[in-house]
Amino acid sequence: MQEILIYILKRILQTVPLLILVSIMSFFIIRLSPVDPLAELKLNPSISKETLQKEAQRMGLNKPVWKQYLLWAKSFIKGDLGVTTTGESVASKLKERIPNTLLLTLVVIFMTWSVAIPLGMLAAVKWKTPFDRFLTFLTSIGMAVPSFFFAILLLIFAVKTGWFPVGGLTSYNFNEMGLWNKVWDITQHLILPVTVLFTISLAGLQRQMRANILDVLDSDYIKFARAKGLSEKKVLFKHALRNAVNPMITLLGFEFSSLLSGAALTEYVFQYPGLGRLILEAVLKSDINLVMASLMMGAFMLIAGNLLSDILLILTDPRIRVRG
Amino acid sequence: MKRVIYIFLIIFLVLLFLKACIRKDIPEQKPANTQNINQRTEFTYPKRAKTITLNGIDYLQSQAPVGNFGGEVILSIFGEGPKTFNPFTSKDATSSQMAGMMFDGLFTTDAKTGEVIPKLAKSYEIKGNNYYVYLRKGIKWSDGKAITADDVIFTWQDIIFAGLGNTSLRDSCMIEGKLPVITKVDDYTVKFTLSRPFAPFLRQLSAEIAPKHAFENAVKKGAKYFDGFYSTTTPPDKFVTSGAFKLKEYIPAQRIVFVKNPDYYEVNTKNEKLPYLNKVVYLIVGDANNEILKFEAKEIDLISLKGSNVAIYKQKEPSSDYKIYNLGPDTGTMFIVLNLNNRKNPDGKYYVQPEKQFWFKDKNFRYAIDYAIDRDNMVQNIANGLAEPLFTAESLNSIFLNENIKGHKRDIDVSREYLTQSGFFYNKNGKLFDKYGNNVEFDLYTNAGNIERESLGVMVKQDLEDLGMKVNFKPIEFNTLVNKMVNTLDWDMILMGLTGSPLEPHNGKNVWNSYGSLHLFNQRLEKTSFDDRLDFEKELDEIFDKASLETNFEARKALYNKYQQIVYDEKPIIYLYSPTRIVAVRKKIKNIYPSMLNGVMYNIEEIYVDK
Repeated sequence: MQEILIYILKRILQTVPLLILVSIMSFFIIRLSPVDPLAELKLNPSISKETLQKEAQRMGLNKPVWKQYLLWAKSFIKGDLGVTTTGESVASKLKERIPNTLLLTLVVIFMTWSVAIPLGMLAAVKWKTPFDRFLTFLTSIGMAVPSFFFAILLLIFAVKTGWFPVGGLTSYNFNEMGLWNKVWDITQHLILPVTVLFTISLAGLQRQMRANILDVLDSDYIKFARAKGLSEKKVLFKHALRNAVNPMITLLGFEFSSLLSGAALTEYVFQYPGLGRLILEAVLKSDINLVMASLMMGAFMLIAGNLLSDILLILTDPRIRVRG
Repeated sequence: MKRVIYIFLIIFLVLLFLKACIRKDIPEQKPANTQNINQRTEFTYPKRAKTITLNGIDYLQSQAPVGNFGGEVILSIFGEGPKTFNPFTSKDATSSQMAGMMFDGLFTTDAKTGEVIPKLAKSYEIKGNNYYVYLRKGIKWSDGKAITADDVIFTWQDIIFAGLGNTSLRDSCMIEGKLPVITKVDDYTVKFTLSRPFAPFLRQLSAEIAPKHAFENAVKKGAKYFDGFYSTTTPPDKFVTSGAFKLKEYIPAQRIVFVKNPDYYEVNTKNEKLPYLNKVVYLIVGDANNEILKFEAKEIDLISLKGSNVAIYKQKEPSSDYKIYNLGPDTGTMFIVLNLNNRKNPDGKYYVQPEKQFWFKDKNFRYAIDYAIDRDNMVQNIANGLAEPLFTAESLNSIFLNENIKGHKRDIDVSREYLTQSGFFYNKNGKLFDKYGNNVEFDLYTNAGNIERESLGVMVKQDLEDLGMKVNFKPIEFNTLVNKMVNTLDWDMILMGLTGSPLEPHNGKNVWNSYGSLHLFNQRLEKTSFDDRLDFEKELDEIFDKASLETNFEARKALYNKYQQIVYDEKPIIYLYSPTRIVAVRKKIKNIYPSMLNGVMYNIEEIYVDK
């Protein structure tokens, strides 16, 4: 157990230089791009020169880039994410959106994993049967359809039938509803975006699981287990599944990192009030504090996700423990 | 055998999908009749609201037809929603619009004539350089406190003139470095004293008024605190406002809900308190496509229509639940601008190559371009017929429009004539050369991603290539373009659009003043050591100064007519067209009197929903 703790501590220490490097690179790339947060104000005939100067000063645009970076880094370490170009607090903007994005991605991840893993196993067991082929056909479609296109198709479907609301997360009279109506309202809004994300990620995950199981089913210890006279059920769940699940755990780590950033495109099409839309606009307007906060968040989630999957791997697979 | 069945199954499925593509199934669409869309909708506006006194309270009495109370209207706004609800710190259109719902100004604009008419103020009087504003007695803020002269003085003295928030209004009130002096005559009368006559001032008084008791503390805490005051994170019940509607909730990236202010100071002709509506909801939509879908799904009640959508909607109008209004030409102007800059940059290089300078400063060259441009073609093919050719610097709906400028059709022979006069000649291949033998070739920029401007750029390029000019059309990223226009100045020709003000040409001063911050065609980054203004630039500077001093409308109009004539004669900026604004509104919504000057929902307190 102590070994694991030391391992985790080491990993966390390793991330510090990585995060610094990521922050320097992203800061300078954004600042060196020709995007000017004041461009729109500059083209407004009724905005005076004095206002422009005041704005540039407020955003610190008149200082050299390295100085801007140091100022940003200093307040970031103190836990202050700064303000957006329009003067709103970055932390509170993120706080508004994170629950919405988490709601969407958690539902999707829960659904895909609980459907894809059994389906993958089933397909592997029924290898080369019509059922397997049918699933292959369906998942190929799922993988081939671009998410934004599928999202737009569903939106048109919603408009034509009137069965679903056109984007968003809540209806305009949400606050006057009773509790169950609220739950129903959100569910209704979630169905379409969840469908899109579910279809897209289901396909990959199911294929992956199928391949893993097939791989394992071919190995000697499975043959041995069968020869031993174990029931097919036991062979599958006790021997095959435990060995096949390793790559899936690594994948789970990546899924974790996409919790906050994975659904941006779908969010945009469905006008979903999540992080995706916020950050897209921030990038377009070179809203440095907001973009940096989201990039650092992304980097952090990726590192955390990897760490998480490594720890899970140690717990599930004794072989890694010995080597580690 | 099984395999064969599968193959058939798959082929069958594919065919099923392909069935959707068969044209025969789609009913033949008749080309929509755009003729009647082009016609501006005629409105009979109700009489102007007047002041009546009931129980000692000076109400504003709407003269619009009496409607029924209750109901709601759902509207939409683009983008990411407001950045603030504070009218004094807002710098973007959405924030200003939302703040405008909550706060009334002393004056507003008459929808039909564009005159300044009282709103929060009861009346005004101009005596020489003194502007007397008389306030309504007995009207209240949303928290029940009276609206008095102290609020007006506080707003102007301690917020606007103190330079808090967005200082543009203060900067434009500054006359020769001096700000108007404000004095309190009594609790309901305020006097503004100007150092000399200044015509735009009356309209500037339309700015929102802040409640002193609610803003005083924030003002004391300084500029930084004030920037975050009345922000999007302020709880809705903390707002003290004066408008017809109060903020109920703001859900980021989703919607803003306003509810009726029961204590509003406007009544209908039966002396019942307005507004009629219980609720006004603004849905925040990301882009135009989403807005269309929401209108189709009946989630919103009003939509601005663009391009090809207009014909489709017009065709469906008779069997639908909406009505289409054509408000006429928009405030937007599309133009190409030539870089007349003949100065050197700090590195000692010319901003514009010397041979190009010679072309651009040549009036004949500019005339040749103007006559070569086929505006009618642009209107037909890019704006789907929903625009009007533009020749004036003021937009077509401006109350200061110079109607004597009629413009002209495309005439390539006239263009060639002008070019020959200046010694330009053609070689065997029809390429154009100047009299020193330089091939006429220059760059045309616009911002990439804007389909309308990109297609206009292609048309300009083709039109000018008929003259033998070589135009390198380069759509570039918006920010890069702005940087070129206001900082690096290394461009030849740019295709752009600006939003003008149909009511106040003086707002365009930053464009027309020789030292303005947006003096596109001859941008000066700092004061030059000697006066290098072109003759017509000097003339324009003079006209703008003079017109701002002139308070008589007719005399002002004469001056602004002259400025438009000069711009038309000199052509540093060549205007292309103004798009037409077309909106669809659900029929159940009544008392709609759209106006190009004020928009559609400006009289929100008079609007009601038919039951």
